[in-house]
Amino acid sequence: MTDEGLRFVAMALAIGLGAIGPGAGIGVVFSGALQAMGRNPEAEGMLRTYMFLGFALAEVPFILSMVFGLLIGFKII
Amino acid sequence: MRIRTAALAALVIGAVLFFAFNLKFPTFPPVSVKAEALACIGGVIDDAGHCSKETVFPITNSLLTTVVVDVLLVLLVIFGVRNQMVPRGFQNFVELVVSSLHDFALGVDKKNVAKFFPFVGTAFLLILLSNFVGLVPGVGSIGSCQVVTDPVRLAKMEENAAKIKPTSFDALPQQCDHHEHEELVPFFRAPTADLNMTLALGLMAVILIEYFGLKALGLEYLVRFFNFREGPMFTVIGFIELLSEFIRIISFAFRLFGNIFAGEVVLIVMGYLFPYMLPVPFYAFEVFVALMQAVIFSVLTLVFMSMATQAHGGGHDEQEAAAH
Repeated sequence: MTDEGLRFVAMALAIGLGAIGPGAGIGVVFSGALQAMGRNPEAEGMLRTYMFLGFALAEVPFILSMVFGLLIGFKII
Repeated sequence: MRIRTAALAALVIGAVLFFAFNLKFPTFPPVSVKAEALACIGGVIDDAGHCSKETVFPITNSLLTTVVVDVLLVLLVIFGVRNQMVPRGFQNFVELVVSSLHDFALGVDKKNVAKFFPFVGTAFLLILLSNFVGLVPGVGSIGSCQVVTDPVRLAKMEENAAKIKPTSFDALPQQCDHHEHEELVPFFRAPTADLNMTLALGLMAVILIEYFGLKALGLEYLVRFFNFREGPMFTVIGFIELLSEFIRIISFAFRLFGNIFAGEVVLIVMGYLFPYMLPVPFYAFEVFVALMQAVIFSVLTLVFMSMATQAHGGGHDEQEAAAH
């Protein structure tokens, strides 16, 4: 395997593995918010706020892994 | 009934064309992560879509599209809002959009909505229109053919050209000649499919978040980052908070850019795999993603702003309870 091929494998691994956790996490966030909204529709406004907050926090690892993946892929590090 | 007949006729004509002329799939169009330059102020284009080193200000295709989107928005506002006390026609639509956005913002933060809404609402409309512009046919596919001179890109092109079999699409007029090392440089590109635009939006959002926080709480705002009073645990949490402020810029920028750019690539790949019916559901999904990303950007900005203006610890729950 050439150096460049290894680089692509590393990029794919970084982005792909980094997507597993946030994917599951975002699913949990939205399912929890939807259940809570179903049980208590009056609290929807507040729940929506925290839902998006949880979404943003759960997505950070993927963003970081994607940035590092791109940095590897474009030969910056 | 007429629609069904027309659809049937289109299907039959498509099938006849497909078999009669033995249409093959089009060659894979070049996908560029960065926006291509159309003109370079202070320099020249030395390669397809690339500016030479002494360039002061490159005019890229996404910059051009941003200007188009801005002009569209300004025209929308000028023609949509003419202060009719009883709105008619188009003004109804504009007022409906703005008031529903405002109601949504009210649900997040009732107290400060007047301060936050100008940026958040404008960002929503700008991002929404930018995302939609990228889905208009011709954006990203109509452009000029420029000759590639960079040796690395040339080698890659030669390698690709050896793999691609000639198709009947090559005979169409106005196509770039890959054997002459020409590459398509589109005139238009979705503004949010350019990292510069999304990074600028993210920077603006985060700077405004800090500004509103500092303005509402004064120096008390900085306590959440440098907290030495409540023990070492809170000191560490403060540093993590400070770090997360900088991660916010990156995550704003890459979330928007990643979603929109990946959407365009998916559409191109689907059009390449099977160009006849397959791209339609993906196109519909991209319309949904375009709306969703605009909502997510503006709601996150709003939530972060409202969090920044609330005092550290305590006080938070009472305000929330009072707001509902």
